[in-house]
Amino acid sequence: MSEKNIKVLIVDDFATMRKVVRNLLKQVGYDDIVEAEDGVMALKALKSQKIDFIISDWNMPNMTGLELLKAVRADAELAGTPFLMVTAEALQDNVVAAVKAGVNNYIVKPFTAEVLNEKIKKIMEGINK
Amino acid sequence: MDYNNLIALLNKLAQEFLFLDSRELDIPTAGKFLNFLEEIMDEAKKQKVVPVRNCAAGLSQILENVILDTIPDKEGAAALFESGLHLMQEIADSFKNTGEYKGGIQDFQEKVSAMAGLGGMTAQSAAASGSEEVLAASGESVPEEALQIQDESLTRDFIAEGLEYIEEIEINILNLENEPENKDYINAIFRPFHSIKGVASFLNLERIRSLAHNLESLLDKARNGEIDVTPALIDVVLDGADALKTLIGQLRDVLEGKQVEKADLDIPSLEARIHRVEQGFDSGSGAKKIGEILVDEGVISQEILEETLSKGNAPDKKVGQTLIEQGVVKPKQVSQALRKQVDQVTDLTTIRVDTVKLDDLIDMVGELVITQSMISQALKQQVNIDKRLVRDISQFFRITSALQRVSTSLRMIPIKQTFQRMSRLVRDLAKNAGKVVSVEMVGEDTEIDRNMVDEIYNPLVHMIRNSVDHGLETPEERIRAGKPERGIITLKAYHRGGNIVIEISDDGRGLDKQKILNKALKAGLVHGDDSLSDQEIYRMIFLPGLSTAEKVTDVSGRGVGMDVVKRAVEKLRGKIEIESAVGEGTTFITRFPLTLAIIDGMIVKVGQESYILPTNSIRQALRPPRESYNCVVGKGETINAMGQLMPLIRMYEVLNIEPEYKNPWEAIAVIVDGESGSRCLMVDKIIGKAEVVVKSLGEGLKNIRGLAGGAILGNGRIGLIIDTEGLFELADERLTQQ
Repeated sequence: MSEKNIKVLIVDDFATMRKVVRNLLKQVGYDDIVEAEDGVMALKALKSQKIDFIISDWNMPNMTGLELLKAVRADAELAGTPFLMVTAEALQDNVVAAVKAGVNNYIVKPFTAEVLNEKIKKIMEGINK
Repeated sequence: MDYNNLIALLNKLAQEFLFLDSRELDIPTAGKFLNFLEEIMDEAKKQKVVPVRNCAAGLSQILENVILDTIPDKEGAAALFESGLHLMQEIADSFKNTGEYKGGIQDFQEKVSAMAGLGGMTAQSAAASGSEEVLAASGESVPEEALQIQDESLTRDFIAEGLEYIEEIEINILNLENEPENKDYINAIFRPFHSIKGVASFLNLERIRSLAHNLESLLDKARNGEIDVTPALIDVVLDGADALKTLIGQLRDVLEGKQVEKADLDIPSLEARIHRVEQGFDSGSGAKKIGEILVDEGVISQEILEETLSKGNAPDKKVGQTLIEQGVVKPKQVSQALRKQVDQVTDLTTIRVDTVKLDDLIDMVGELVITQSMISQALKQQVNIDKRLVRDISQFFRITSALQRVSTSLRMIPIKQTFQRMSRLVRDLAKNAGKVVSVEMVGEDTEIDRNMVDEIYNPLVHMIRNSVDHGLETPEERIRAGKPERGIITLKAYHRGGNIVIEISDDGRGLDKQKILNKALKAGLVHGDDSLSDQEIYRMIFLPGLSTAEKVTDVSGRGVGMDVVKRAVEKLRGKIEIESAVGEGTTFITRFPLTLAIIDGMIVKVGQESYILPTNSIRQALRPPRESYNCVVGKGETINAMGQLMPLIRMYEVLNIEPEYKNPWEAIAVIVDGESGSRCLMVDKIIGKAEVVVKSLGEGLKNIRGLAGGAILGNGRIGLIIDTEGLFELADERLTQQ
């Protein structure tokens, strides 16, 4: 898969934040983007279309990012989907819990397009190896 | 002891490590290994292999630091991890063979703490310097000109969404105040601050970010149970939300090129307050600590106070006492400060009272007012009466009326909260319907009886749904009609003539009279030759089974709805009106009594009994001439009043009592409006009009049809309040039974 051709799902309850991430993604060449406003909607989106990469916020109503991650990993069809967790600050406990649950990487707000790009690249390389 | 399982686990981990592609531990690998190590620790604990357990804990520490990226030497970390792995295998083997392990793991542990500890240190110092930066940034107030807009479109989104989120915070914090233990509410407040902070950090809005960050970490502590939800916390969060709102408002002004209004904002002192609450210092928002008062008075400096507080080795000793002992203040100054503090405490003007107590109080005052009117009636019948007594009693009456006014006002709350709930709803509905809507509120400080608030909510919600779903057009339609894309729903409240009036307006397409008429014709509700006024046509949307919506959505358009709304409004003794202009929008005007505790009624007599008819449903009262009376077999009796034939209900029959008059032309006919048209109620006489305090008939008699409650009348006797709809139903049933 050419690395910029992936379909990315952005999960965040704050619409402006989704737009921020979307803009950053576009800056570095990712154009195929889907959005979901919480974990529940994200799972719906994941079931209804092929999604190659998930970027999810940690703190959301209904279903947190961690819960979403666990749900994705527990689903046979979705389990392999790369998952990048967005956190506000590197709270040790949160990050470790996410890593244990199988997150591919995490990124701390605020981040630049370059950092985001690097993280995605790194994850995709790790998977395609 | 069986060590095979443990050894197998260790071997598996070692194997995984061996097959790593690079000598670097990446995040997914670290996660996998952490889970492994957890399993190993559990197993080691079970088999009591303490050294392995400690070793595994050390390895987990390395991994955690790798994840948090606090170890610069990646290769070194991997090497240390490997050596730890071998050490564990060695220990497990030794346990299997000899049941013990002679060697030590201190060496390994020291290396781990050297590496992780160092990492931990840098992480901590980074965090510490980070928070210092925050303080510094907020300390030197950022000049207004520094408000630079980075990305206009994003900033616009942020302003709109941020303000909505703050409204949400306000609602939830009120909930939290009622249930300070409810973690859901804390979470619901925490999250929006968190989101605002996140976006503000991207947009380089430092002041907003910093304030939201401080509030967030305060709430995080409350969420984790580290600090209690105190009134001080609630106050500071509310003030914080206000300040955020102002900051975002300023941002909007900058964006719109307006002069930024100089707001009276003291962010540094607000943030300092947040920190104080965070550390559990501020026990009450109103009363300042003695030390603070002394500082404010200029008796001591902040440094001296902090020094004294930090010594804090005598917890039972008061600050004032310590300060006196140190000789920095005079006892007189402390006692003055103490007096000031007491003044401040008594200055705290609000207390919370259980609503049940409040209801009881209002009920008792109602009784008092009734007793007063009984005394007043008895007084009129006295001939020789002491002048002084009359004067005293009239004084007593004045006080009673004042007391009644004050006590009813106790239960009044602003309608703001209801409006805010509704504006949230509009947002959700609009999203579902694919419409762009903003909500405007007017008069949200208008007060209404607390007991009414919940009752009026549902009918209002339905009207709002109607406005969003049917009233407003889609953005495309609006643009085509030359209107701004964004529709506006206005919620307006005001007092008028003892009522609260609530208007819900949209600037949508307006009601389509022809469409309503066609529907009504089809449903057989009107005849083609009826000439109807606009109002009459509009009112038809309240008829059951009439919905002009072409498309059925999940919320409205199923033909139930507006008739239910009307019934609900009328049940609360309210009235509903519609104003509409094609292309300009529709307004629902609802009027509700300010309270359900008092009813404006007409007292009528049937036989020996007095009944109260709610005045708002009475249209007219008359003594019908003999020729207007008509009786058709099977259809019942009618009275012709002003050219309209109206069914006659003989109250005495329905109520089964002996009346004074049995002939309608001797009695009085009261024309009462109801859901299914007007009827004539036949009563013996009308006693008069009165405001009565509604009393429940008690649990056992709660659901008697035709009766809405009871009231004590001026003569001390009880009058029953008639529920006209129920009475109509009873009468109809009697008719069909005959």
